[in-house]
Amino acid sequence: MTLVLEAAVLGILTGGVYALMASGLTLIFGVMRIINVGQGALVILGAYLSFVLFRTWHVDPFLSLIVTMPVMFALGVVLQLIFIRPLTTDREALSVLVTYAIALGIEGILGYIFSTNYVQLRAWYETASFAIVDFHITYVYVFGFLLCLAILGALFLMLYRTTFGAAIRATMLNRTAAQLIGIDVDRVAALAFGIGMATAAAGGVVFGITNAFNPGSHYDLISRLLTIIVLGGLGSLRGAVIAALIMLVTEDITAVVVSPVWASFAFFVILVAVLIVRPQGLFGLRVRDRI
Amino acid sequence: MAALLELEGVTAGYGGGDILHELTLTVGEGGITCIVGPNGAGKSTVLRVVSGLLRPRLGSVRFRGASIVGQSPRAILRRGIVQVPQERSLFSTMSVWENVRMGAYTVHDRALVARRLHEVCETFPIIRERRHEPAASLSGGQQKIVEFARALMLDPALVVLDEPSMGLDPKTRTVVFDTIRALNQAGRTILLVEQNARSGLGLASHGVVLESGRIRLEGPGLALLDNPEIGRLYLGATG
Ligand SMILES: Nc1ncnc2c1ncn2[C@@H]1O[C@H](COP(=O)(O)OP(=O)(O)OP(=O)(O)O)[C@@H](O)[C@H]1O
Ligand SMILES: [Mg+2]
Repeated sequence: MTLVLEAAVLGILTGGVYALMASGLTLIFGVMRIINVGQGALVILGAYLSFVLFRTWHVDPFLSLIVTMPVMFALGVVLQLIFIRPLTTDREALSVLVTYAIALGIEGILGYIFSTNYVQLRAWYETASFAIVDFHITYVYVFGFLLCLAILGALFLMLYRTTFGAAIRATMLNRTAAQLIGIDVDRVAALAFGIGMATAAAGGVVFGITNAFNPGSHYDLISRLLTIIVLGGLGSLRGAVIAALIMLVTEDITAVVVSPVWASFAFFVILVAVLIVRPQGLFGLRVRDRI
Repeated sequence: MAALLELEGVTAGYGGGDILHELTLTVGEGGITCIVGPNGAGKSTVLRVVSGLLRPRLGSVRFRGASIVGQSPRAILRRGIVQVPQERSLFSTMSVWENVRMGAYTVHDRALVARRLHEVCETFPIIRERRHEPAASLSGGQQKIVEFARALMLDPALVVLDEPSMGLDPKTRTVVFDTIRALNQAGRTILLVEQNARSGLGLASHGVVLESGRIRLEGPGLALLDNPEIGRLYLGATG
């Protein structure tokens, strides 16, 4: 029983970082109607940026976010301007190819600089732990969870309490109507892409402390992120958060109760069951207006 | 009547051939100009050119004498042209109140926004009554009214309406047309597209019949209604 409880707690804690990474992806989909399959590679890029800061100047991984988040934000804006904005026709389909190309480009560059050896971000809290009742929790999971919670909270506040956030939501709901009330939807799209990248940087740090990674790690990551946003409903931030928690908790519990071999499978059973009943995912809007 | 908006030689399309062919159209200040025509004639395309959603390939668009062709929807909006599109355009999950306030997205003067909100609520009491409800929970006709209200937040000089009565029952349609007439009497110029030629032209000071991207007939609304050709084409007139 303790094992199950421990697995559930760990699932929630690690679910936080997946929630954060997936929310960037779903935000970008919501605003631009594009699937950014490069999101995984950008998370890994974020992890490597922090890795460089750590290796060169011994900057604490969490602290390095003060630098890497703005850098990734700017990079996102530039990537959007160069690669996504020119797609005016057939954007949904072309964006998959373009962002996949971005992923391969990043993987290639990282491979050239860092080789394919696995690395991991290091910090004192990565191994130190504390005990609750009779199980141990490593600090890093708690810190990572709190960080993701804080960033997600900031994201929600921005979306629901600021004028710019209202512009993002309006663009997500009805692009033409947003244009007709004077929202510069291209600007919103560029900034939203930047925000998505900044969340990737934060996700990268937490991922990079809790996992060893190499430039090819993005394949596994993006497939997990995509299943999360499909379960949560494309374009729904709430959905992304809840689906991420469902995924990680299910996997961790299955791993201890049944066997780690069945962990992913158990999640896919839930995914398929949900999609049969609700094809649009847990919180997805039915796609009404195509853009 | 002085010209508020002038389109001249406008040729436009969506990349796959032209939809509008050298269209020339004048919207007189203070009047109601109504465009009628069959499905696919290009009526909405004309309006998209006016509001800047679509950039014409050729031709000029002038508002109060100044060229607005090629300007962004935002810039055109700020000049005082507001469009309510054909398809439902409220932000479905936002509340009625939030939707209406979004109409003043480009206005940064809070006092002005508050004053306009007050005015709009006076004109359309439903805004206050249903303010907390999500826009999607309103009926089609109620949503249209909220869309009008949102458009009026900018106190526009020219209100562009694309088939506002589409999909509404006869009673609601009357309400919508009464509202349009009231808006016009309050001094706003209206550019209207209407499938129902009888109600549209009946209201219009100036009527335009568009077919395959070209103007087929033009004249005072009531005169057009009496035109036997129109009768045959659009009114199902007998004989
Ligand atoms: N976004 C678009 N991309 C490509 N073609 C379009 C687009 N929108 C409209 N068209 C085409 O342009 C033509 C004119 O369309 P438009 O919407 O202006 O017609 P309309 O007169 O408003 O018709 P309706 O009465 O059905 O609203 C049609 O043949 C339509 O297929
Ligand atoms: Mg139309």
